[in-house]
Amino acid sequence: MTGKKYDVIIIGGGVVGSAVARELSRYRLCICVLEKELDVCNGVSGRNTGLLHSGILSGEHSLRTECCIEGNAEFDRVARELDVPFKRCGKLIVGFGEREKRSLEELFSHGKKCGIPGIRMIGHDEIRAIEPNADGEWAIHVPTAGILCPYTYTIALAENAARNGVHYYFDQEVTAIDRREESYCVHTGNTEWHSRWVINCAGVSACRISPMLGFGEYIPKRVKGEYEILDKKVGRFLSVPIYPAPGEDGDCDLHITPTVDGNVLVGPTLEEVGEEEDYRATREKIDLLARQGARLFPNHVKREYFIRNYVGIFPYVADPLTGERVDFQIQSDKRIPHAVNVVGISTPGLTSALPIARRVAEKVKEQEALTVNERFCPVRKGIVRFADQDDEGKRRLIRQDPDYGEICCRCECVTMAEIRQAVHNILGVSTVSGIKYRTRATMGRCQGGYCETRITSMIEEELKKEVTEVLWNQKNSQMFTGRVK
Amino acid sequence: MNSRVFTCILCPNGCEIEVCHEDGRVLETEGNKCKKGQQYVEQELTDPRRTIASSVRIKGSFLPLCSVRLTKPVPKQAIFSVMEEINKAELTAPVRIGEIVIRNVCGLESDVIVTKNMERS
Amino acid sequence: MDVRDVVIVGGGPAGLAAAVALKKLGISDVLVIEREKQLGGILRQCIHDGFGLTRFGETLSGPEYSQRFIDEAEACQVDVAVNATVIDITPGKIVTIDTRDGLLQVKAKAVVLTMGCRERTRGALSIPGTRPAGVYNAGVAQSYINLYNTMVGKNVVIMGSGDIGLIMARRLTLEGAHVEGVFEILPYPSGLPRNIEQCLNDYGIPLYLSHSVIEIRGEKRIQSVVVAQADKNMQVIEGTEKEFPCDTLILSVGLIPENELSLGAGVCLDERTKGAVVDDSFQTSVPGIFAAGNVLHVHDLVDFVSLEAEALAEGVHQYLREGCLEEAGIRVKTDCHIGHVIPQKVSGNKEVQLSLRVRQPMKSCRFRIRQGGSIIREFKVPKAIPAEMIQFRIKAEDFLSREDIEVTVDE
Repeated sequence: MTGKKYDVIIIGGGVVGSAVARELSRYRLCICVLEKELDVCNGVSGRNTGLLHSGILSGEHSLRTECCIEGNAEFDRVARELDVPFKRCGKLIVGFGEREKRSLEELFSHGKKCGIPGIRMIGHDEIRAIEPNADGEWAIHVPTAGILCPYTYTIALAENAARNGVHYYFDQEVTAIDRREESYCVHTGNTEWHSRWVINCAGVSACRISPMLGFGEYIPKRVKGEYEILDKKVGRFLSVPIYPAPGEDGDCDLHITPTVDGNVLVGPTLEEVGEEEDYRATREKIDLLARQGARLFPNHVKREYFIRNYVGIFPYVADPLTGERVDFQIQSDKRIPHAVNVVGISTPGLTSALPIARRVAEKVKEQEALTVNERFCPVRKGIVRFADQDDEGKRRLIRQDPDYGEICCRCECVTMAEIRQAVHNILGVSTVSGIKYRTRATMGRCQGGYCETRITSMIEEELKKEVTEVLWNQKNSQMFTGRVK
Repeated sequence: MNSRVFTCILCPNGCEIEVCHEDGRVLETEGNKCKKGQQYVEQELTDPRRTIASSVRIKGSFLPLCSVRLTKPVPKQAIFSVMEEINKAELTAPVRIGEIVIRNVCGLESDVIVTKNMERS
Repeated sequence: MDVRDVVIVGGGPAGLAAAVALKKLGISDVLVIEREKQLGGILRQCIHDGFGLTRFGETLSGPEYSQRFIDEAEACQVDVAVNATVIDITPGKIVTIDTRDGLLQVKAKAVVLTMGCRERTRGALSIPGTRPAGVYNAGVAQSYINLYNTMVGKNVVIMGSGDIGLIMARRLTLEGAHVEGVFEILPYPSGLPRNIEQCLNDYGIPLYLSHSVIEIRGEKRIQSVVVAQADKNMQVIEGTEKEFPCDTLILSVGLIPENELSLGAGVCLDERTKGAVVDDSFQTSVPGIFAAGNVLHVHDLVDFVSLEAEALAEGVHQYLREGCLEEAGIRVKTDCHIGHVIPQKVSGNKEVQLSLRVRQPMKSCRFRIRQGGSIIREFKVPKAIPAEMIQFRIKAEDFLSREDIEVTVDE
């Protein structure tokens, strides 16, 4: 089968791919995104802490730090444009004892050197004034850090791109790329896609795509991080993320982070897993989260508040010659026309996605003059959440759409109206997890005990699917085996 | 003479009944709180019976299934034959509790009846 | 704002029984709010029989049992709002209800909490492994199979021996699935003995006690579970791991009273029951807010849920009549063998029924109720198991003083 001809194919619909898609939709280009999963946030983009980083932890002067600081500075506007819940709550990096004090001081002077705005070294009393439930003798207060929902942001970028004309195709894993007569032919399964431009934003898989385009070989590495999600009951006791002072290796270990939706995350545990894809939670790490979490956030990290655990993957890329971790790479090469290679994107990829996307657009403009798309609209509206409204707002919503008068998910107070809008999302995602990411239904303490049956029924009815076609999150993840009778 | 322990299923007490029996005859029971327990083990020794509950497809109502049960227990080994009959049945709304879905199912002198009122939607 | 004498939150076996009992006491203005389109609560999906022997003297299926109360409620003209979800209750008893007709607010003179319970989930247990499709709570699977005509799987492992899990083992088998076994981490089952007999033994389904699922495997749909033996401290015994292939894992690992609305109303909860702290009138820590049924403590049988809710009516009646209830100052304490007790405090002026559960199975046990060093009541029970709720009555004249009472048990 041969697909349509595009100006630009973006490989990968994660936060970077979708940011690039949105950025390029500012120009008159026919663009498509090829995503191997069934949704835009099934990989790394949906599996992280959801922190808007300041840049203080991004290491030496590098593209990584530069993009992070730039992305941080503009995020209030971005969040408003894309209707993404965001809180610039700041962050505390806390330490006890002389060794940790020294490591905080080192980090502080590094932060100053990088130009991280507003950072201060503070003592115990000020720590308590900022967050009464935090503990520590010293801390760096990082006022520019913030929290956002990583999958909502990724979805928002993708939806805005789609609204501006970008086509999303799911279940499209790229297997080969040929260059034929001034254009590229991208192979996925049994489909060929033709395009003048190819942009590799494949995240963890970017190392696989890079040589297909003729760019360098890189070694993908993965750090696995396990998390626990705590009940919203605990959320009100934590207003800022609490990180421990960096250890010997310079990495900040397991931290406690409030989510923008009111839960608390404990994690990640960090463990090098090499090249394999390993999403298994382990007893050992779950116990570790309970123990270490309780140290940073005493009295509130209790097993009875655990509602779900998950595994995040933090990819990074090593140079095959030196074995060293490489900086963000945004490459173009005259010998490889009309291609941009984005590899080595690791944390803080979420914060850096739009700055990366602008740099990609610059690379494109170096080879081709782009015409501005006058119809581009940077504003995206998300599904209006019933739970977020005051009583008057709730009344108004029910008047507009009586489905707002029917609660589907009682824990998160999500109505049938929201589920219906999510089922008909612009990207055409139809998995149960897709509905979950778009509405928060099933994310509460009963974990879908009450609402999941309603969600699957609605997917069946609204999208005219057979019961065996209802998928949990990915290909072959059937929810059901058939009818009972 | 043999002895065996039964858990009586007739009520939530779930008495553990120790029985001495010979040739299907109960000689002595111990542990049952009431005399139904004695009847239960006698039945279990000679002809164990169970009642079952399941559901039947229904057309024209707000849900696709209507719950049903047997009016009388049937021999244990007949359970899956009864299920086959239940699986073939189909109702049309409205139905009321007690309505017979299958009379004398498999000739076992037990009826399959509706256990849920289901209106037309 | 609409003003009502009594607003009952939840139209299941507790809420309906409370409504009917209140009507029978002459309280005319009773509103039951139910979030489903039909009344009956969880019994709508409990299509197996065995309900009603205590309350009605005959054995009924869940839908039949609840229909009895629905009919009674209709006969005595209880006001009912279905497809209406209470989203907030204030300490001043203003109840906010989400409906298709708008956001309704009702000022209640008294509120009765009968929201039932929810299931403990995989997340709460933090079961290690992957997150594939095919892992269901028993009640969710029951709803899919019994209400939605949707088969959750063909080759099933059940974790936890709670009653719903046992019932589902039989339901799945009858509907053509193969149930590999039921794995219970404790050395004794959590469900009732009759359910072990009629749901597992009848169908040759093995029950593995002191065993637990320690890992879930499979990327897309679950492919297997790893099971291991557990010691008496519920710790995995290394070297006993065994893999069981399956396409479905059903969890039946406990129920938790659903008290998010109660917390919003300022009701104090008991750490042990996860339900409200109540007195001998079933009044919570907030005057005029009452609770009964599974929202108060998880029951073994629905009959006791309804009976408890009926018993609550008297206190509500008195509260409406007198504007307040007498302070119940006598605390009910328990020893370490007893998991919890309802009520947690009593007035000492009237007969009271204590409902409790033991922590471990016990044989020929003697329960004693002490007050100020004297034994005021003693009961003997041939056996007590955690799966069964135990109830005793203390008469008004048994109380010797205003001192706290303590319930103890020994074998």
